[in-house]
Amino acid sequence: MTSLPARQGWRGWLTDPNPRSRRQARLGQAWLAWLRIRRNGLAMLGLAIVGLLLLTALLAPLIAPHDPVVQDLSRRLQPPGTPGFLLGTDDFGRDILSRIIWGSRVTLYIIALVAVTAPVLGLMIGTVSGYFGGWVDAVLMRLTDIFMAFPRLILALALVAVLGPGIFNAVLAIALTAWPPYARVARAETLTVRNSDYIAAVRLQGASHLRIIAGHIVPMCLPSVIIRVTLDMAGVILIAAGLGFLGLGVQPPMPEWGQMISAGRKFLFEQWWIPTMPGLAIFLVSLGFNLLGDGLRDVLDPRSAPK
Amino acid sequence: MAMIDIQGLSVTFRSKGHEVRAVEDVSLSVAAQESYGLVGESGSGKSTILRAICGLAPVSAGRILIDGKPLPQGRAFSRQVQMVFQDPYASLHPRHTIDRTLSEPLAIHGLPGSDAKVVQALQDVGLPPAFRFRYPHQLSGGQRQRVAIARALMLEPKILLLDEPTSALDASVQAEVLNLLNRLRAERGLTFLMVSHDLAVIDHMCDRVLVMQHGRAVEELARADLANARMQTGYARSLFEASADRLMETK
Repeated sequence: MTSLPARQGWRGWLTDPNPRSRRQARLGQAWLAWLRIRRNGLAMLGLAIVGLLLLTALLAPLIAPHDPVVQDLSRRLQPPGTPGFLLGTDDFGRDILSRIIWGSRVTLYIIALVAVTAPVLGLMIGTVSGYFGGWVDAVLMRLTDIFMAFPRLILALALVAVLGPGIFNAVLAIALTAWPPYARVARAETLTVRNSDYIAAVRLQGASHLRIIAGHIVPMCLPSVIIRVTLDMAGVILIAAGLGFLGLGVQPPMPEWGQMISAGRKFLFEQWWIPTMPGLAIFLVSLGFNLLGDGLRDVLDPRSAPK
Repeated sequence: MAMIDIQGLSVTFRSKGHEVRAVEDVSLSVAAQESYGLVGESGSGKSTILRAICGLAPVSAGRILIDGKPLPQGRAFSRQVQMVFQDPYASLHPRHTIDRTLSEPLAIHGLPGSDAKVVQALQDVGLPPAFRFRYPHQLSGGQRQRVAIARALMLEPKILLLDEPTSALDASVQAEVLNLLNRLRAERGLTFLMVSHDLAVIDHMCDRVLVMQHGRAVEELARADLANARMQTGYARSLFEASADRLMETK
């Protein structure tokens, strides 16, 4: 019988069921999505891990206790817990914790670059292919098949071998091998919506192909692509680590997690912490992205959204 | 002069050596501000005629004139002819707000004043302005169909093609939407070409009706013929008898 008390302040403004402007409506929607993801404990854990990675990368010069590149052979191979060297030192006497902290920047750089290139490319190719159909579809999908048929790491290796080792080339190689799954996902989604009445309606209003694809089809593909991106991020970190491990990614002495494992593998049995600590960092960040991806699936997938 | 003039229209779908003649040699003519019905059972080709006018179906013979001129192309066409689809659950973009759905046609044609026009359009179809930023899944079927009608009218077309606009709605909502359409037609001087399988709906809405069967025109009836059951052909009569009891109810 009692009506809910009207919420005050900015929360009330955000949750107002009758927003008065486009901006308010949009912010309100974002707020509701945030409330949904906040109820998912594991997703929040994932978000916390990703947030921690961001903070670490941002504040690396402030929180790293030592210089990540300066060598000190008098203090080499110190075990974890040595005063001043929480996670121990490597074979050149460099603090592993500091190297992991600085290495987070490289990891983040790779993730960010791959995340803005591969899905965008895949989305473009997939939606165009699904929307136009016919020979456009045939050509683009066969191209996708060809890229998909290559083992990812081998193709990345070949590209790096041609372009030369380095972090940017590694990213390029990963992006070029990572887009086909996004194209597939986007095409499948496009096929389910392209003959729907709402697309026919906007076509009847005289919309251009570009407007239909960008404004009406891409929003329908976006949730599944975003979810795939977060789920793939773990794989991207591992491939970047793999390239680093093979010496084709980041070049020493720049700290990078995969390359740290690679350099530390000859000490695996006597000084286990050298490859283990960066391995744990990779594990943690991969886990964080996976959990976040799972949570995002619940929030973004329209089929699972509460009515 | 006739607003819509269709002469000898045939539509043939071809795929892999297979031919389906959906519409064969149909002629009809709709005067300006008239409401014209197409009635027939499923697969009789009535919706295909609407799709042919919109350029969504392959015309194999015949011609379609709008306002005495051949079908205008592209954007000029959308300023003249708009369509309301059958299923309001499928005809609104699920991830666009009502505001976006209604302002899109204005954006496509570069028309100014979208804020005021959207509010006005909602008012015209009897929806409160509070609905503006809702998503389709927050609306009922009848409300969605009102939005679809508002969208079709955003570009102020002269002709509205109605593809069974109320068959997905239940009876009471159906009457509301039909009355809304009648009111809008009177207010704006619209020409309706309406498809339905329900003679009761046609009787409520249309001045004349063309009965179709298997892609061919069977008989054209004026409203008075329909009311007094003056049909020439057996098929039209059987169709009439199937919905006669409901026709009587609405009287």
